[in-house]
Amino acid sequence: MKKNSNSIALSIVIPVYNERENVSRLYEKLKDVLSHFRNSYEIIVVDDGSQDGTFEILKSIAQKDPCFRVIRLRRNFGQSAAMAVGFRMSRGEKIITMDGDLQNDPEDIPLLLQKLEEGYDVVSGWRKNRKDKMLVRKIPSWIANRLICSVTDVRLHDTGCALKAFRKEVVDRIRLYGELHRFLPALARVEGASITEMVVRHHPRRFGRSKYNLTRTFKVLMDMTSLYLFLKHLRNPLRFFGSMAMGFFGIAMLLCVWIAYLAGIRHFPLLDLNVLVTLVFLFFVAGFQWMFIGIVATLVVRTGNREWGILFQRMGHE
Amino acid sequence: MADPKKRSKISVIVMISPGISVDSLVHELMDSLHSLRRPFELILVDDATTDSTFSMLRRVAQKEKRIRVIRLRTRSGEAGALEAGLRCASGSVVVYMNAQVRVNPKGIPLLIHRLDEGADFVIGYRFPRRDSFLNRWVSFGFNWLVSRITQFRFHDVHSGIFATRREVLNHIRFYGDMVHFIPLLAGQQGYQLVEQKIEQLPGKFRQSKYPKEYMQRLLDILTVFFLTRYSKKPIHFMGFVGIVFALVGLAIEIYLFIYRILGLGAIAGRPLLLLGALLLVIGIQMISIGLIGEMIIFTHADTVKEYNIEEIINE
Repeated sequence: MKKNSNSIALSIVIPVYNERENVSRLYEKLKDVLSHFRNSYEIIVVDDGSQDGTFEILKSIAQKDPCFRVIRLRRNFGQSAAMAVGFRMSRGEKIITMDGDLQNDPEDIPLLLQKLEEGYDVVSGWRKNRKDKMLVRKIPSWIANRLICSVTDVRLHDTGCALKAFRKEVVDRIRLYGELHRFLPALARVEGASITEMVVRHHPRRFGRSKYNLTRTFKVLMDMTSLYLFLKHLRNPLRFFGSMAMGFFGIAMLLCVWIAYLAGIRHFPLLDLNVLVTLVFLFFVAGFQWMFIGIVATLVVRTGNREWGILFQRMGHE
Repeated sequence: MADPKKRSKISVIVMISPGISVDSLVHELMDSLHSLRRPFELILVDDATTDSTFSMLRRVAQKEKRIRVIRLRTRSGEAGALEAGLRCASGSVVVYMNAQVRVNPKGIPLLIHRLDEGADFVIGYRFPRRDSFLNRWVSFGFNWLVSRITQFRFHDVHSGIFATRREVLNHIRFYGDMVHFIPLLAGQQGYQLVEQKIEQLPGKFRQSKYPKEYMQRLLDILTVFFLTRYSKKPIHFMGFVGIVFALVGLAIEIYLFIYRILGLGAIAGRPLLLLGALLLVIGIQMISIGLIGEMIIFTHADTVKEYNIEEIINE
């Protein structure tokens, strides 16, 4: 990890996309809260290719305030990429992420930092009194959350809350891409971080439009599958693929035994057993397939340039 | 000439393959570049020709200091030629041209003007086209499909001529046949793409002679599709296709199962049984390959950079 000599105490990373009405209000609120903050800080706003003039407003704020850093992306790359840019640019020892839509309350920032002081690597916000529409936001979010919790080891009530606090060591190791920003706590867990949660305030959206929609369910499910793989089986992928293969082989074997019984003892003509034979083929093919994929997976992990989960043994209370 | 943009040096990289009439090409290129009244260099990359082409290039280069000739030791194709050319190029504006497509060198200033107007990447769009009818139709179909897949409206992605700023190319990783998709990759990074009509000269063209080349185009479509949409999340694509296949296969098998249970007839000899099994196998296979893709991306995530920063304030 690169060492920044001029590191500061706190970075606040805010990805925004078309939030014209919200950014200056957000800035004022942040300033209010941070004026009580004794150490150095920076606010990093990543403009994810807004087309509604958000950037001009950000620019005018940044010219007056050197702590306010603005990064403009060339087009809309999505929230994960925007967050990744913010992380990469941040210099703070602690990093807070939040949405640019004023639904998170900057007043919670000192509380999150306190919680971080208790020795956790990640503190995730929990919108206990969520001010969103029930049907399209809260229920899907609740289901997704339960799924994420059961698939990954992360026991949180609200993994989707944007207001989170991280230690720099965690952020330096997390690699965000694709649409993985929804799974930040799980990604942090892959790296071996200790995670807790804290109730935060939540306000209804006043300006602008929400950028979430329901059609992403499938993608979320798929991402969850791969996260499960990363969390549980990254060190020895052959175990995952191999056990699937063994399952397929087992079924194939059972079917073989059954065929032998039917043909040998009950004297069924073999032609009538075609269905079973087809199934045996099916499961053998699938089994071999997964077995060899598992071997390739081992190679992939070996040649990859990262090691997992070894950093945080020494962390916690320092 | 106060605008510094308009004084930046132009490097023109031309890939030369066997059978090109070097003298007239270079003559026209030099004429066209002189008309711009800006510093320029002409880099001729000889893609390992074995006929008299290289001796002609050598002769041309001796007469004019601004011409550089690079000879590749093995045939490296367009990507190799462009990379070799870029390594020697010193200009901040780069024009690449494949001599085989026979566009009129007089069109190069048009491309440069579009760059000066603020575009990041200008693709030459051969118009009117003068090669064979079949080539034109294949090309039309290809561009239509590519435009459908990406958000850009292309007329001629494979035109083999483009102009851009050096830094844009530095941000794009290309190799092998990917060179054909440089415009797409630039657009994906958020650079502003424009097309500029450029005249094609009549004469002898390289024709797509083999079905192999059409196959190649079809595979190219898949490349575009995958590169622009799913290169960071293979499971979204493979998983989807895999699950669809597996579900269809499963549905077929369940149908046959019920059919048999209800005693409507034998199913052992039915091809549908095999089809269902086949679809199931393909589906399971796709999902596992998708998972491998995910693992590759994740374990190499350090090198994944999927954003492009336009501007930083208070760095």
